[in-house]
Amino acid sequence: MADDKDVLRDVWFGRIPTCFLLNQDEVTEREAEPYYLLLPRVSYLTLVTDKVKKHFHKVIRTDDAEEMWFEYEGTPLKWHYPIGVLFDLHASNTVLPWSITVHFKNFPERDLLHCPSHSVIEAHFMSSIKEADALKHKSQVVNDMQKKDHKQLWMGLQNDKFDQFWAMNRKLMEYPTEDGGFRFIPFRIYQTLSDRPFIQKQFRPVSPEGHVHTLGDLLKEVYPVALPTEGGPKRFQVVIHGIEPLLETPLQWLSEHLSHPDSFLHICVIPVPSD
Amino acid sequence: MASGALRGGGRAAETRWRRHIVGQLKLRDRRQHDKFQDLIRFYTRLLEKTSLTPARCPSSDSSLSALLHQNNQLKNTTGELAYQVVQLQQQIRVKDSVLDEQHARQQQEEPLLQGAFDSRLALQGRVETVRGDMGALKSDYDALLERQRGAETKLREEKLRGGNLLQDVIHLKQQEAANMNTRNERRCRAREAARSKVTVETSGSAPTSRSSSPKRESERRLFRSASATSPRILSSIRALFQRRRGQSVSSLQEDQLFAVGVCLSARLPVRALHVLEAHEQGINAVRFNSSSELLATGGTDRAVKLWDVRAGSLTHRATLDGSTEGVTCIEFDPKGPRVLAASYDKSALLWRLDDPVPKVTLTGHSRKVTAARFGLNLQVVTGSADRTIRLWDLQRACCVQVVEVPSYCSDLVCTGYCIISGHYDSKIRVWDTRAVRCIQELPAHGKVTSLDISPDHRHLLSCCRDDCLQLIDLRGRSYERVCFRADGFKCGSDSTKAVISPDGCFLAAGSADGAVYIWNVSTGNLETRLPDKHSTSISAVSWSPSGEYVVSVDLSRRAVLWRDF
Repeated sequence: MADDKDVLRDVWFGRIPTCFLLNQDEVTEREAEPYYLLLPRVSYLTLVTDKVKKHFHKVIRTDDAEEMWFEYEGTPLKWHYPIGVLFDLHASNTVLPWSITVHFKNFPERDLLHCPSHSVIEAHFMSSIKEADALKHKSQVVNDMQKKDHKQLWMGLQNDKFDQFWAMNRKLMEYPTEDGGFRFIPFRIYQTLSDRPFIQKQFRPVSPEGHVHTLGDLLKEVYPVALPTEGGPKRFQVVIHGIEPLLETPLQWLSEHLSHPDSFLHICVIPVPSD
Repeated sequence: MASGALRGGGRAAETRWRRHIVGQLKLRDRRQHDKFQDLIRFYTRLLEKTSLTPARCPSSDSSLSALLHQNNQLKNTTGELAYQVVQLQQQIRVKDSVLDEQHARQQQEEPLLQGAFDSRLALQGRVETVRGDMGALKSDYDALLERQRGAETKLREEKLRGGNLLQDVIHLKQQEAANMNTRNERRCRAREAARSKVTVETSGSAPTSRSSSPKRESERRLFRSASATSPRILSSIRALFQRRRGQSVSSLQEDQLFAVGVCLSARLPVRALHVLEAHEQGINAVRFNSSSELLATGGTDRAVKLWDVRAGSLTHRATLDGSTEGVTCIEFDPKGPRVLAASYDKSALLWRLDDPVPKVTLTGHSRKVTAARFGLNLQVVTGSADRTIRLWDLQRACCVQVVEVPSYCSDLVCTGYCIISGHYDSKIRVWDTRAVRCIQELPAHGKVTSLDISPDHRHLLSCCRDDCLQLIDLRGRSYERVCFRADGFKCGSDSTKAVISPDGCFLAAGSADGAVYIWNVSTGNLETRLPDKHSTSISAVSWSPSGEYVVSVDLSRRAVLWRDF
């Protein structure tokens, strides 16, 4: 079990080296130096980029500055997806560090949500947790928690406190032993090629016959295209937290250990790089 | 823990996917994290350092002169600033001294302030207590005010009632006065008529008297020359004549008076025949007449009442008024139809039995008269609280002798030429009226409240405040004394009157407990006790000369007639 705890720590402390560059179109008083950061995979862009904002505010006229937003190779980055998901989805096979362009103008209203303060992130985060618990325990666990318990979850994420977060999150991961798992596995499958933002369906961790469902079973059920065809070349990578778990991995275990702090198992299906 | 259920599937397969994940994660971190960690940290630190250095660097040589100029300007500025610094330092010094001064003052003021605070707290405490007291007083005051209001309304009602009552009383008094006036007028007219009659009578009877007693004739002349118009003298003259006539020709009335004689045996009373409220206030004195058919009572209500003793009951016959204060003592004239009373109004009064207006009023004492007795030779002897005994001549209606006694005289009796008086100084004194001196002083045990002499004039009974009756043998010179006491007998007042039975065998006295006590003289023991009829202290008893009845009276207006069956 010590391995499982290590897996949780590795998932929590996963980092992506990132280089923030100011958009060339921004009016600056002098040339802006790039800013480098190690972004936590489990956090949100707008939650960890206060330093970036401060850095670039030094060089642009502050009265010109509007809400900061980020873009990678022409794609606006949605702050309400975890950072790891954004990276895996858009830049998993590129050269590191991940170069993100910072904008202070022309906010893409169609693609992005506004994020005026951290309380918006908190609201989004808590709503995800509640949704996931509705799937896992019919909301029983999260409703039994007190306000301060909810706060503890959020503060654990905001301040990158692993122990503080998991002291409370442990309750959300419990299930009756006789059931063999959660009611439904809260998961989301992201893909680059579709207009749909993600796939989310009700899927039980154990089959009616009592077999343990695996990652492969899930994909076969909801997104069979992602599976390698018999004898054909591998066309898609199934990436969680920057790694490709074996398809035989039990889904319940994945949900317990490889879920993001918002209790969802975010799975990215990306095409295999051509080269 | 959660994967426990999954382990059944096969340890090898289970560890494979787990190992794969752990390995992948390590690989991922090595590639993405570890390689860049230090690099990014150093870069960030470098960036912070560069941001601290001046951002802009002038790059032109031609700006040297500008720099020099700037330098000069800066020097000037430095000088100015130095000067300002000096000035400011000076100001600081001044301010510091001021500040020090103020600190010193503040330190001086602080104890004062503290003292003031303390006294303020103390005063606040006092204010609180005083306020509490005031609240309590206020509530008391309110209660009192309420009571006062109630009392005032009551007072007003009472005043109104008092006024009404006063009106009623005044009205009644007026009626009474009118009645009295008419009565006086009538009496006056009657007296006028009587006077003219007497004059006629005198002139008519003069020859008879002259023939029988020339001496009296001269006396009569003397009176006439003194004052022919005085009604009192006239009446005394009339009495004289009556008396003289009585001596010469014994009338029917006088036969009656002297027929009774001495009682041979007194019978012990046993039963109360008649109980009545005889007066309006307490009764002080009671006395049978010599025929035992008439009873006189005198009370604090100023009246002397006469009662017929007939068939075992008392019937009111007449009320004799004239006294302006309470009556203290009553005696019937053994030789005539007259009754004598002593009064609180410093006088003694004499009535005829058929006239409610006093015939003679003897005035001269300076305090209340406690005893009045008939003596020898138409004399009356009175004892008084003014420490005198006076002898009065009834014919002249004046005082003939004043005997100064050493103490308050509470009662007296007459026997021959002797007067025996009882006093508050616990002495019984025997006086000779002819020599006007005390011939004997007998001791008693306490204040003497009453005296009584036996009909044969052999024994004297005295009642004292020490609840003891004393019987003194008057025969011989030895004055032997016997004391009579009884359990329960208590002398109720300073004027309680005890009596000897007419046969001299018994003594009767009323006690403070409302019972009549009767002793046997020969055995010296208590013979009987008559309780339950009186509710207050008995003031006097009287034994009828016939020996048949005893009457007791008390201070709550009640009179009880006792008899042996």
